[in-house]
Amino acid sequence: MKKYLALLVLVGLWMAGAASADEHDVRFAAVDIYLDSAEPVAAWQFELSDRDGLMKVVGVEQGESPAFKRVPYYDREAVRLGEADRIIVADYSLAAVDELPSGRARIATIHLMLSGDDDADFNLQLVTATTHDGVVTDARLSHVVRTGSEQ
Amino acid sequence: MTNREMGMMFRILATLFISAIIVIGCASTEMADMETVGTAIPPGESDIEDVVVTSQKIGRSSSRRAQSVPQSLYMTAPTKDYSQADFGPLASDEELWVIAKPTFDGQADNQDTSPGTGAMLAHVPEGNIKEVPLPLKHTDVKARIDGYISTVNVRQQFHNPFDTKIEATYMFPLPEKSAVSEFLMIIGDRKIRGILREKEEAEAIYREARSQGYQASLLVQHRPNIFEQKVANIEPGESIDVDIKYFHTLAYNDGWYSFVFPTVVGPRYNPPGHSDPIIPVPHGSTGTAENSATIPYLRPDERSGHDISINVEIDAGVVIEELQSTHQIKATRSSDSKAQVRLAAQSTIPNRDFVLNFQVAGDTVKSNLMTYQDSQTGQGYFTMMLYPPMEHASFARRRMEMVFVLDCSGSMNGRPLEQAKNAVNVALDHLQEGDTFQIIRFSENSTQLGAAPLAATRENISMARRYLANLHGTGGTQMIEGIKAALDFPHDPSRLRFVSFMTDGYIGNELDIIGAVHDRIGESRIFSFGVGSSVNRYLLERMAKEGRGAVAYLGPQDSAKDIMKNFFGRISHPALTDLEINWGGMAVSDVYPAQIPDMFVGRAVVVTGKFLGAASDVSVSGYRGADRHTMAVSAAGAGEDKTQISRIWARLRIADLADRQAWQPDPHGELENSIRTTALEYQLMSDYTSFVAVDTSHQTEGEFGVTVNQAVPVPEGVRYETTVE
Repeated sequence: MKKYLALLVLVGLWMAGAASADEHDVRFAAVDIYLDSAEPVAAWQFELSDRDGLMKVVGVEQGESPAFKRVPYYDREAVRLGEADRIIVADYSLAAVDELPSGRARIATIHLMLSGDDDADFNLQLVTATTHDGVVTDARLSHVVRTGSEQ
Repeated sequence: MTNREMGMMFRILATLFISAIIVIGCASTEMADMETVGTAIPPGESDIEDVVVTSQKIGRSSSRRAQSVPQSLYMTAPTKDYSQADFGPLASDEELWVIAKPTFDGQADNQDTSPGTGAMLAHVPEGNIKEVPLPLKHTDVKARIDGYISTVNVRQQFHNPFDTKIEATYMFPLPEKSAVSEFLMIIGDRKIRGILREKEEAEAIYREARSQGYQASLLVQHRPNIFEQKVANIEPGESIDVDIKYFHTLAYNDGWYSFVFPTVVGPRYNPPGHSDPIIPVPHGSTGTAENSATIPYLRPDERSGHDISINVEIDAGVVIEELQSTHQIKATRSSDSKAQVRLAAQSTIPNRDFVLNFQVAGDTVKSNLMTYQDSQTGQGYFTMMLYPPMEHASFARRRMEMVFVLDCSGSMNGRPLEQAKNAVNVALDHLQEGDTFQIIRFSENSTQLGAAPLAATRENISMARRYLANLHGTGGTQMIEGIKAALDFPHDPSRLRFVSFMTDGYIGNELDIIGAVHDRIGESRIFSFGVGSSVNRYLLERMAKEGRGAVAYLGPQDSAKDIMKNFFGRISHPALTDLEINWGGMAVSDVYPAQIPDMFVGRAVVVTGKFLGAASDVSVSGYRGADRHTMAVSAAGAGEDKTQISRIWARLRIADLADRQAWQPDPHGELENSIRTTALEYQLMSDYTSFVAVDTSHQTEGEFGVTVNQAVPVPEGVRYETTVE
């Protein structure tokens, strides 16, 4: 009898813990940011947010172009003290024109922690993209969401 | 049914199954050992490098060569022929002194001590020394010094030598004034910038990532000079690097700037009941809680493969006359004002502070003001270095009341206490008629030479020397007893009272001590000696700040005579006291230190603050004896755009707020909130903010593995037996 009682207590405790854990259930995802431009891009800035307030930024990774070797900087004001994050990321390169990326290229990967089970509703906006001589160029942003298990 | 509901159902079924197993007693599950497993070997005689040190002089003649050598230099002549050693090409104007360590045969040893089923490393016996496999392989330090501001990148290279997944943790020191502002996790060619968040939030993110199998890293501050790095889910054979960037200002004494990089945290004594200890434990010990701050120390017969490289690029802006270091270095010069310095290959064991001093031409150094102004907000930041006169012969000597306070705890046993006694003996030589003195010793309690300060008579000084000779190092470090004994008796208004603590500062309750000094300081000045190879500089510097004094450092091989003689001469001849600053047209606020210290010959005073308006000339006035003197500081160099100054200011503000927590009641958490807000606004590490980085693009399989705490050596000159065990 004691064994059954102990079992019931354990199950009860575990269920309480499971419910509590689920309230804070989180998952992780990588969002690859692609910039598509006909002209070589020397500088760019974009803003990423989530309309449902599910995301927290946990890392910013550099893109694939050798011309942008540094890890992009993010705007500290955008992350600071936020209940939910939005992040503004920017970078520039002083490389020669023929080394700058053109066409579709991954310019950054934003690593996120997401709460809830629903898919995040990302809002991705290109603030600016310029050529090596500072002229704003026509470019488009897109993103691909990956999770660790999809690698 | 949603994914969450399915997950819940699965968990319930799984738990029912596991619980049933527990209830019928068929099995018990046990978490993996949370510490690395070490094989204890009886302590033996260690093979230690026979001598350590070098001095490097770079070829300019100096009219001031005869001046005092800066503190903490190990000066030893070469004893062997190392002409075959590989240090790279030496220029004709370079001179490199090297003392190397013995070589060993390096036969393989198949005994393994891995936390999983077996280590990938073999042990290489060096006499009785056993190499233990640990994850931190290398620390690479790259510093750039621009004037007196240093920007430092520290890369820690972690590698998993085991055949199971691990989490690596490492407690390490940084300079006490460092403003840590960037953090990168590097996996192969990929670099992930860490995000600064509130500490609890960063820790929660890290725990989640770790438990879900993601590679992640977390940087936490335990003290302004002690940090902890955690790297989760390092797979067998894999490497993950972490890159940390910080700024700080250099100290200036007697014509020399000092760049210091500490390499190991000394074992701390934690008074009973202290709520936030840093606990020293023997490597391989088990049972420590995950959230307690512990530092495992290698036994005398163990060593890790961790080594260090240091490269320093100096652009002094003025002529560099000479370079000196505690370590073997190689230096090259590209111009009179520039030098590149690197640690020589034979000096890469991280068990003592690396100190690099460079002497600049005295006639080219002038008090100056450096500024940075935010172009968007107009907010300005400045740092001003006030250089004192170089000579004190013309200043009147004041009558003194000298109080020497010696740390006689176990960590001071041996060479450190011997050095402290040497220094006090030298100081006794320099007391003059009309001076008084006292000697206080403390470990678990305190005792003192006389009931009250004694007149500096020949008889009393002889008695003091006998008292000193009988002091020994043993027991814990109840520094509070020394503070009370030194500061709790009435001040003699006819004399300048100097209290000189001589300690390694190996305590865990720094804030209690800083608070006690603040509450009791009165008219006293604190001029302390940090004694040893890896002193707790945070404690010593903060005590000096509260005590309106200064610190000198006395290494195991330094000449106590030279350093004390120089120090004593300086403090007995104040160059300018009771300083006041006229800021001209600048609207200045939030100045640190809030109370400007007295200026002593050879010791610069640095003042940092915020301003609005245009940078303008400044005048500083104070008393030299009974006369008031004024010195002008030009803002001519204020146009340089040094963004680091804003973060240096923020770091000082955080330090000041943290110090206030030691004595100022904060029932509503306003100080804590101010620290947090400042740290987040200026993107700096603090007690309440941490960096976290997660690689979400790859999920490792299985549990997060075994936690391996990086064990470190005790600092050179410190006895393991009296401090760790």
